[in-house]
Formats: sequence, C-alpha cells, structure tokens
Amino acid sequence: MVRIKHRYLLINILYPSKAPNFSTKDDIPDVIQFRAPTPDNFETGVLLRMIKEGVNELYGDYGLGMIAGSLKIIYLSAPTSTAIIRVSRDHYRLVWTALTMATRLPKPVDLPCVIQVVRTSGTIRKAEEEAIRRAKASIVRSKQSAQTNGSVGIDILRDFNLVGRYHQPSPAPNIRDGPTNHDSSESEVQID
Amino acid sequence: MYYDLNLLWSPKALELQRNISFLAELGYNVIALNHIQSGKLPADISCPIPATLPFPLPPNVQILRRSTLVVTDTSQNHRIKDFNDASSGYDILAIRPTDEKSFQQACWSLDCDLISLDLTLRYPFHFKHKVLLDAVNRGVRIELCYGPGITSMDKTARKQLIENATAIIRATRGRGIVISSEATSALQCRAPTDIVNLATVWGLGQERGVEALTREARSVVVAAQFKRTSYRGVVDVIYGGEKPIKEKVDKKEKGKQKRKAAEITVDTEANSELEKPLSKTQLKKQAHLARMKAKAEAEALEIETTQNADADVNMAGQETPEI
Repeated sequence: MVRIKHRYLLINILYPSKAPNFSTKDDIPDVIQFRAPTPDNFETGVLLRMIKEGVNELYGDYGLGMIAGSLKIIYLSAPTSTAIIRVSRDHYRLVWTALTMATRLPKPVDLPCVIQVVRTSGTIRKAEEEAIRRAKASIVRSKQSAQTNGSVGIDILRDFNLVGRYHQPSPAPNIRDGPTNHDSSESEVQID
Repeated sequence: MYYDLNLLWSPKALELQRNISFLAELGYNVIALNHIQSGKLPADISCPIPATLPFPLPPNVQILRRSTLVVTDTSQNHRIKDFNDASSGYDILAIRPTDEKSFQQACWSLDCDLISLDLTLRYPFHFKHKVLLDAVNRGVRIELCYGPGITSMDKTARKQLIENATAIIRATRGRGIVISSEATSALQCRAPTDIVNLATVWGLGQERGVEALTREARSVVVAAQFKRTSYRGVVDVIYGGEKPIKEKVDKKEKGKQKRKAAEITVDTEANSELEKPLSKTQLKKQAHLARMKAKAEAEALEIETTQNADADVNMAGQETPEI
C-alpha cells in the first residue's frame, strides 16, 4: 500500500516587539522577551485558521485545496510558543511561506509576532527531539543572561514557572554549569 | 555565518539595540546598518553611524556600516570616490537606481558594491540578462530586500516584491544575488532558513538561496573592505599576528645598546676578558714572554749604547784622517 508522505514543521513564535506579559518590567534580557509565552487562548484552532488564511491570501483557492486535506496541528504548547504542524510533503512550502509572511496572531490573541520554522522533518519523532533540544538550550541561555543581568531575570523565570517546571533546584545551583544541571530536566519536558 | 546587509539605521539606541539583538537571535552573525541618502549630497558625507554603538552587542555579532545612494539623475556627480574611501566611515556602498537609465549606469560603470532596487515599486522596464550579468561579472551584487514587502499594509507592495524578485532571479539565472531584510523594525526580519524557503518558492534554488545569505554576501563585504584598505585594489597589508617572543627580547637589547653605547663598549671589553679565564700555564707563558721581552729590550738597549759608543769612536776615527 502506498502511504501519503508528510512533512512536520516545528515552529517557534517569537515576539520582537514588547511582549504582552512584560509590560511592567523593562530590564528583562532580550533572549527571554523574544521567547515569551503565548497567551493561553492561543489554541490549535486559532493556529489552523491563521495558516489557512495565510495560504489563501498567498496562493488562493488552489493552495488552500492542496494543503487542506493533510494540514494538522500535531502539537501546540503556548507556554513555550512552540508547535508542530503536519502537511503533505509536496506542498509544505506553501504553508511555510504563509507562516513566514504572517506578521500577527489572529483575533483572540491579536499580537504582532514572527514565526520561525526551526526544523522540517519527515517524522514526528525527529521534530519532537528537536523541540526538546531547543527548549533545553533556551532555558540554559535564559539562565545565563539572567545571571549576567542580575536577579531580575531569575524572578521572571520564576514568574513563568520556568525554573520550577524545567529545573529541580539542587542544593547549590550553579547556573554556569548549565549542561550538567539540565540532565535532570530531561524527564520534565514532555511532548505528547 | 549568516549576513544581513541591510538593517536600517535609526538614531534611537533602544530600538536599534532591540533590532540587532533580534537579528542575532534569529541566527545572523554580520549585520550592516544602512543609511539611505537621496537628493543633493551634503558637503560632509562622513558616516553618522558611530563606530562603536552605545550599547553592548550580543556575542558573535559583527556590525558594518553601509550607505545607500539613491540615484535619480545620471548626469549628477555622486562623489562615489568619497564614499569608497576608508575615511568616510562606511564599509559598504550600495546604489539604488530609480529608472532604467540609472539602473544601466549602476550596472555598467558606477563603482559600488551592491545594487539595491526598491522592490515594492513597479518598474516600467525589463531586467535584462546582459545588463545584470555585466554587473555580476564586474563583482557588483544585486540585492533583494524582503522586509518592506512583508509588513506593508497594501497588498500591491507584496505583489510587486514577488514580481520584481522573480524577474531579477530569472534574469540573473540566480547568480550574484544577495538577500537582505531592509527592516525598519524587528517585526520585518525573518530567520535565514525561512528566507531560503522563500527564495526557493521564488525560483532561486535552495543552494543558491543559502549562498545569497552567506557566500555572496560575504564576497560583498570582503571586496568592499579590500577596496577601502588596499593600495589601488592590488596590495593590502594584513595583520599577521604577533611576532615570536624571542625576537622581542632581541629588540630590547638592541634598544639598550643604542642608548648607552659607551657603557656597553666598556662592558663588552670586560666581558671579553671575563669570557676567557686564563689558565695557569697561560699565565706562566705570558709572564715568561713578558720577561723575555723585557730582557730582549734591555739587551737591545745595551747594544744600542755600545754601538753608539763605537760610532762615536768611529766618527772620531774617521774624522781624524781628514784632518
């Protein structure tokens, strides 16, 4: 039997202008601001609608018809602003360009954003692994920049439960030795 | 190493810092701050962008300074020579032609590094393969800017961007193309891989797309730098690293010698004596020689005196017969 081949796009949503949750504090490191969590009302339906509108705008009915059958949101995590999108392999570039041309999340969220496709893969597993790897790396970097910027950054991480969720505090946490610390967090980051 | 050769410069430090750090976050390593100049040029064309920016840069990011000249009148003197001089403060010079005549002039004769068309406008002429290829063969690259097309509110801008970009890609056969953002805000910037995908959809191959962000862009930077620092674009002095430490020590000694020549000559004499400590036999030999010499001298003196005496006698003897 011939199976339909897919591409899995792993995307990150970045907030280059002032992120929604940071309005009060100005001196947050840029690394954390750009990768701010998306508001909770951002759901799979919203993302799906955004992609379809984008493809319709760029490619019209033809493009929409080509991707509509295979398009599916496999995974969406608002706190980490990450998603995995499935498309048929022949037409994944249509979806990709639509994501590149997008400048705003649609209505219920309504925020200016930049969507970055960080990985395209033929299997879900590889996309998942990449998502986990990136989440870890961004935590390490956030902590490093938090340390250089003083205590403010750490507070922010705690605000968003990043410290609690991804990192079990050890008796003497040495943030500089990131990689060794974060082995423990492997089990905490999960993708369903 | 990904290059974005066109981030519009603004004097607002906070905004600029945000844009630069966002580009760095997306994965760009070399960012050129662009200063667009149009109309009549002021007398002093020195770069308004400071050499060192007033905020800390993200690690692994290099900042270049670029000027874009909008060329409308081909008969006007644009003082391109001044822009190509290192003292102007600019690292890259781009030309933005507005009509066919200035476009041809930019491709054929103007001494610039980049030709950057405003792709959101409609051009009433075709981009000819020959004209563009002349520019590419001359070492001038063609720049495609995606930024204004992405965020503009009217859809014609995006349509024009796609039309112009595909036309240029088709005319150049994908050779000598550089893609950059021309972003005024971070919202217009996109990650390198996204741009490569966009270029692929526009008809540039994937490899060419990657090259447009890496190799071609680098060649622009290197050629521009070479033009500014080298002697007539032929010979350049480059930094070859520190000299070995051994030579440094030699230098120091040389310096001392020059300053205290008299002292050092004395020293060297003393050193030469010290260098050859005499053995006992040698001392004895020298003493013996000295003694022999003294003896010989004494004998010579004696002989002389006797000879003188004899001479006196002879003289006396010789004199006598005459008288």
